[in-house]
Amino acid sequence: MPFVNWLKRHFVVIAGLLTLAYLLLPNVVVTVFSFNKPKGRFNYEWQQFSTDAWKDPCGVAGMCGSLSLSLQIAVWATLGATLLGTMIAFALVRYRFRARGAVNSLIFLPMAMPEVVMAASLLTLFLNLGAQLGFWTILIAHIMFCLSFVVTAVKARVMSMDPRLEQAAQDLYAGPAQTFLRVTLPIAAPGIAAGALLAFALSFDDFIITNFNAGSTVTFPMFVWGSAQRGTPVQINVIGTAMFLVAVALVLTSMVISNRRTKHKA
Amino acid sequence: MATLTEAPPPLSPTAPTQKPPRKRGRLTPYWLLLPGLLWLVVFFALPMIYQASTSVQTGSLEQGYKVTWHLATYWDALSAYWPQFLRSVLYAGAATVLCLALGYPLAYLIAFRAGRWRNLIMILVIAPFFTSFLIRTLAWKTILADGGPVVGALNTLHVLDVTSWLGWTAGDRVLATPLAVVCGLTYNFLPFMILPLYSSLERIDGRLHEAAGDLYARPSTVFRKVTFPLSMPGVVSGTLLTFIPASGDYVNAELLGSTDTRMIGNVIQTQFLRVLDYPTAAALSFILMAAILFMVTFYIRRSGTEDLV
Amino acid sequence: MKTNDSGSGDVRLTGISKTYGSFTAVHPLDLTVPQGSFFALLGASGCGKTTTLRMIAGLEEPSSGTVHLGDLDVTALPPYKRPVNTVFQSYALFPHLDIFENVAFGLRRRGIKSVKKQVEDMLELVQLGEQARKKPHQLSGGQQQRVAVARALINHPKVLLLDEPLGALDLKLRRQMQLELKRIQTEVGITFVHVTHDQEEAMTMADTVAVMNAGRVEQLGSPADLYENPHTTFVANFLGTSNLIEAEVDSRSGGDIVLKAGGGKLVLPEARCSAPTTTGGKVLVGVRPEKISLSHADDAGEIPEGRNRITGKIADSSFIGVSTQYVIDSSVCPEFEVYAQNIDRDARLVPGADVVLHWSPAHTFGLDAAQDIDAGIQEETAV
Repeated sequence: MPFVNWLKRHFVVIAGLLTLAYLLLPNVVVTVFSFNKPKGRFNYEWQQFSTDAWKDPCGVAGMCGSLSLSLQIAVWATLGATLLGTMIAFALVRYRFRARGAVNSLIFLPMAMPEVVMAASLLTLFLNLGAQLGFWTILIAHIMFCLSFVVTAVKARVMSMDPRLEQAAQDLYAGPAQTFLRVTLPIAAPGIAAGALLAFALSFDDFIITNFNAGSTVTFPMFVWGSAQRGTPVQINVIGTAMFLVAVALVLTSMVISNRRTKHKA
Repeated sequence: MATLTEAPPPLSPTAPTQKPPRKRGRLTPYWLLLPGLLWLVVFFALPMIYQASTSVQTGSLEQGYKVTWHLATYWDALSAYWPQFLRSVLYAGAATVLCLALGYPLAYLIAFRAGRWRNLIMILVIAPFFTSFLIRTLAWKTILADGGPVVGALNTLHVLDVTSWLGWTAGDRVLATPLAVVCGLTYNFLPFMILPLYSSLERIDGRLHEAAGDLYARPSTVFRKVTFPLSMPGVVSGTLLTFIPASGDYVNAELLGSTDTRMIGNVIQTQFLRVLDYPTAAALSFILMAAILFMVTFYIRRSGTEDLV
Repeated sequence: MKTNDSGSGDVRLTGISKTYGSFTAVHPLDLTVPQGSFFALLGASGCGKTTTLRMIAGLEEPSSGTVHLGDLDVTALPPYKRPVNTVFQSYALFPHLDIFENVAFGLRRRGIKSVKKQVEDMLELVQLGEQARKKPHQLSGGQQQRVAVARALINHPKVLLLDEPLGALDLKLRRQMQLELKRIQTEVGITFVHVTHDQEEAMTMADTVAVMNAGRVEQLGSPADLYENPHTTFVANFLGTSNLIEAEVDSRSGGDIVLKAGGGKLVLPEARCSAPTTTGGKVLVGVRPEKISLSHADDAGEIPEGRNRITGKIADSSFIGVSTQYVIDSSVCPEFEVYAQNIDRDARLVPGADVVLHWSPAHTFGLDAAQDIDAGIQEETAV
């Protein structure tokens, strides 16, 4: 039976591509429905083609405001978590110190904790301290849960770095500060960038922890959540599609550029 | 000419024996660690203690709460919400198994069979991250809509008859059933399974497959005896990265499920943000945390992988 | 620019040692490397040679002792303040900088603004002018090695330290780079201190070799001196191959010692014996395999008088091309090695044949019998 044999030989490819389709199907639906003109308040059923939402992406009260708030929080959270996380990662890889195990667990635990537990306990703290919920409490929470992911990403990179590179810099008349700036930092940069990118994505897309600690402030995920109850505007799909396209375009461009550079030089 | 003598081990008093005055940066690691760790202690560890304390308080919003070591809250919470706990474990477990079954072929495909498509597929796995997961989860409402093509096809194939009999779906509907919730959970956490699987598969030397084949192993045996065991670190961290967030999730149960599919996350959220019964919510959250930590520790011990992620 | 006043540029290590907890990597040692020489530290891995080098570079803090460059005590100076540069094992080229910037790194750190001319000249010296704008990973191993040398040499260090610089190269390229490094050293006249585990490499390149073992220097001298006149069994076995025979001091005549080994007598010039010799005491007698002549037992009468002789049976022979290597089974030494040039091959010399081994007493050396007779024998030939 040639067909069965063919199926057997290509089982992994077929199964893998089906999984990929499963992963991408919602994005296709989001894109298609950004051109929908729904009848009621909810955009779940296809009615007719329209580009209205694309022409007026901010036409829904409060949505673009929440989007800009989410971006601001994501930028600050990324900066904070990347700075603190990189410092921790360097300390962990490059130095010996007491209580190393305790430090490692403190960094691992936030990643091994369901979000809802962190969200609830942090809210307990803020309530007990009488803190005003809003921008600052969201930012504090985001830096907290992004930190561990940055540490992990940077640590992996710094660990794979040949310590002889820094010794070579010292041997070539670079003092400690110069060594760090000219050699260590540039070589660790891809790890730091990966950590920062991860932090940005996590912060921008976070819902559970934000929902607990936002008070009456509305971030973009919270806006989407609210609209799932009240009515989903098509503009949500426009934003979702645009973000997907921008992300893919950015990654592809950077790949093409780096490809061309290596080809050009080789 | 070069000269050499072996110096006697006890150095003569004239020999300079003082240590060079170079003791730079003994405190550096502590300065590097301090700000980040302080952040984690104040905003991660300390809240856990507050939460533990809240869970044994009694009182009311109006009159304030006091620590009374009222452990009955735990008992009351467990006896009232054990179905939701059980459901969380079952749904998250099912989603984890599905993620492994779906994610492994794709990770394998990227690692060994994708060739020049590798980067593109990798991008396609990661790119959905950049669209808000809530928007993507809402899209499942459209995909699984009553009378839609997916439900229609499942109905024609009599799959829904079987799943209804098992209690996974209800009648002609998929939405608002356990199946929809598990499907949403699987979808949302699939990349967290694929990425660690891929990174441990990618490290496997392709020649090992050839060597195993050379030593009379059939392709299925190669997989069972070589590939899968070597990918165990990825399997362990993938399952943890899927199970942990899935067990605490309440978004999928809320958007794709019904009141009969509520998970423990939904209860904690409602108690905290709507009912404002802080002691019960804190107790539930504490139980969830303890259960997860217990399971994770046990699982890591069993699988013998100490370093995760 | 270079001064040759004696002592002004020597590297002097005084009582220097390094301990890690209870482990002693380097026992206190005194060592002087004269200015302008090519000096090799030779030993198996873990013998303390790299630690010694790193203490000169300032990358390792000595537990005791001092490092002087000329009259300057640099013991307390951090590496970036020492006029010493290193060619690292596996090169440690900065992956994020191109070749030009790698070579210019040291100049720029010292605040030199116009580096272009110097870098280009240096790249010419190592024949890499064309590659200036490539990244390190785009070069072959041999090219990377030359970049590492250029990056260090451009700073005109007082001493250039080389830590197994050729270890990552294949055999043919290694031979080529050995000559290349020797040429560069002669051209620039800078002191080279070279760490290696490869005895052939050390002997080819260095003027002076220090053989290290277990944190101590076993012997120091010119390559020929070390090879012809080893003072310890470690040196005898680590540098090339030696046949060692346990013997007993029998008597003295003139400047020679007469020894008893098995049933026969062997003669050893007193000057070539590094061991105490009391009558009746034990001595290890050594001779290199290529110094020995092999005669069939039937021709024993034709062997000239005054040569040391041993009888045995050929156990094995292998034809190598330029020579034939025999293993002889003898009562005084179970595996005696003999290398015979293939000039006139005696057809009777096949395994099983009875033979007489004979060599000039001047090629014999004597060692202290209290040592491990197998010290320094390499189980596997290092690549």
